[in-house]
Amino acid sequence: MAEKFHAELDTLKKDTVKMARFGRSMLRDAVDAMVRQDTQLAESVVARKEKIHELEVELEERCYQLIALYQPMAKDMREIACTLKVITASLRIGRYGKVIAKIVNEISDAGNGPAIRSIPRTSPMMSIPHMADLAIDMIDDAIEAYDTSTLRLIEDFSSRDDTIDALRHSIFREGITHMMENPRSLTRCTHFIMVARYLERCADHACNIAENVHYMETGERIEIH
Amino acid sequence: MTSDCIISTHDLNLWYGGKHALQSVTMKIPKNKVTALIGPSGCGKSTLLRCFNRLNDLIDSVKITGGILFDGQDIQAPGTDVVALRKKVGMVFQKPNPFPKSIRENVAYGPRIHGITDRYALDRIVEESLRHAALWDEVKDRLDDSALGLSGGQQQRLCIARTLAVEPDVILMDEPCSALDPIATAKIENLIDLLKREYTVIIVTHNMQQAARVSDFTGFMYLGRLVECGQTKQIFEHPADELTENYITGRFG
Repeated sequence: MAEKFHAELDTLKKDTVKMARFGRSMLRDAVDAMVRQDTQLAESVVARKEKIHELEVELEERCYQLIALYQPMAKDMREIACTLKVITASLRIGRYGKVIAKIVNEISDAGNGPAIRSIPRTSPMMSIPHMADLAIDMIDDAIEAYDTSTLRLIEDFSSRDDTIDALRHSIFREGITHMMENPRSLTRCTHFIMVARYLERCADHACNIAENVHYMETGERIEIH
Repeated sequence: MTSDCIISTHDLNLWYGGKHALQSVTMKIPKNKVTALIGPSGCGKSTLLRCFNRLNDLIDSVKITGGILFDGQDIQAPGTDVVALRKKVGMVFQKPNPFPKSIRENVAYGPRIHGITDRYALDRIVEESLRHAALWDEVKDRLDDSALGLSGGQQQRLCIARTLAVEPDVILMDEPCSALDPIATAKIENLIDLLKREYTVIIVTHNMQQAARVSDFTGFMYLGRLVECGQTKQIFEHPADELTENYITGRFG
């Protein structure tokens, strides 16, 4: 039975990695859609929300079944506990992708009148793609660490998270400046500030995965600030 | 282990003829706690358990070296009163083994051979012991019925009551639930949890979930060695030794 359990646990982990990459792709595509003003891509991200929710339910169910049927212990137990956290974090990341994708339509030049088109968007957008790249790199490394048990990949998460926080703050200030200079930029800049906040939360979810991967591998709790 | 210890072994070795069954076992059993011994078949758990009240003396070819202290006294020392030791360190076996006597007689038997003859005193001991073993309510109206008419789970609790009747300090349990159904097992497990308030319990079990549920400390044994011993939470969440990890996750054994 132990072999069957370990085979099922391995498959569960592989499928969880797939789900995590699916959530990550929703975020990546949403940011790309925003930068390129690609409303079609944005719509495809929104359409993926059902799929990620189905994956969440299915994978969680498999975790619960393994616990109920095999009462796992030690590293096996920690792997399932970590897997549950990765599933939740991946769902959240995917959902932030969906939320950002919805914003794309609202602030696109195509879907709005001349009033919104006249608002400069280059400046705040300069930091958002960069911030998104950093956050998505963290997500990639967290997933990879979970998949391959490579703790080295998450060693510097604390400082990387600090950079993310600093960028969010900078985008916030930049947005405020634009809004003060030009009240017509309120809608677009408010959305940019929100997107920065969502990206920050996605990086937090990457940290959360990292903390749990560390627990999975070592049995020790760490906190990444 | 931080608690006061009631039994300790130091460099304990035991041979059954040429077979080296216990190899340099050094451990401490904390007082008023439940300590579980786990490990694959033949690893020496029961042998170690039986050392604690010198049950291995009954086997001719056994040779023991090293120390076993109970309450600070070396129980291997010549002149040790083995009957008194077994009164203080009682034992419950894998299969319920009540005497073919009444329920009352099963419990009163021990105190009587230890010299208590007063009927009222014996009745009081019988009631208290059965209450402690969580059996009183089920048998109080049929104390004079044969013990063999009880269910397996009730018989096992009767055996625990019989052990409690002579006021032990330590109760050794060798796979006490392996012959019982899940309901009877749950009752024994609840009982073990209650017993540790007044007694020290050492339990040998093959059921790792049971060890995890009932014990405060766990010792993992393998091929006669005590591989790891520590708080149950730590052993089952993140054992320090890879052998322990492999055993409790079912990778061998």
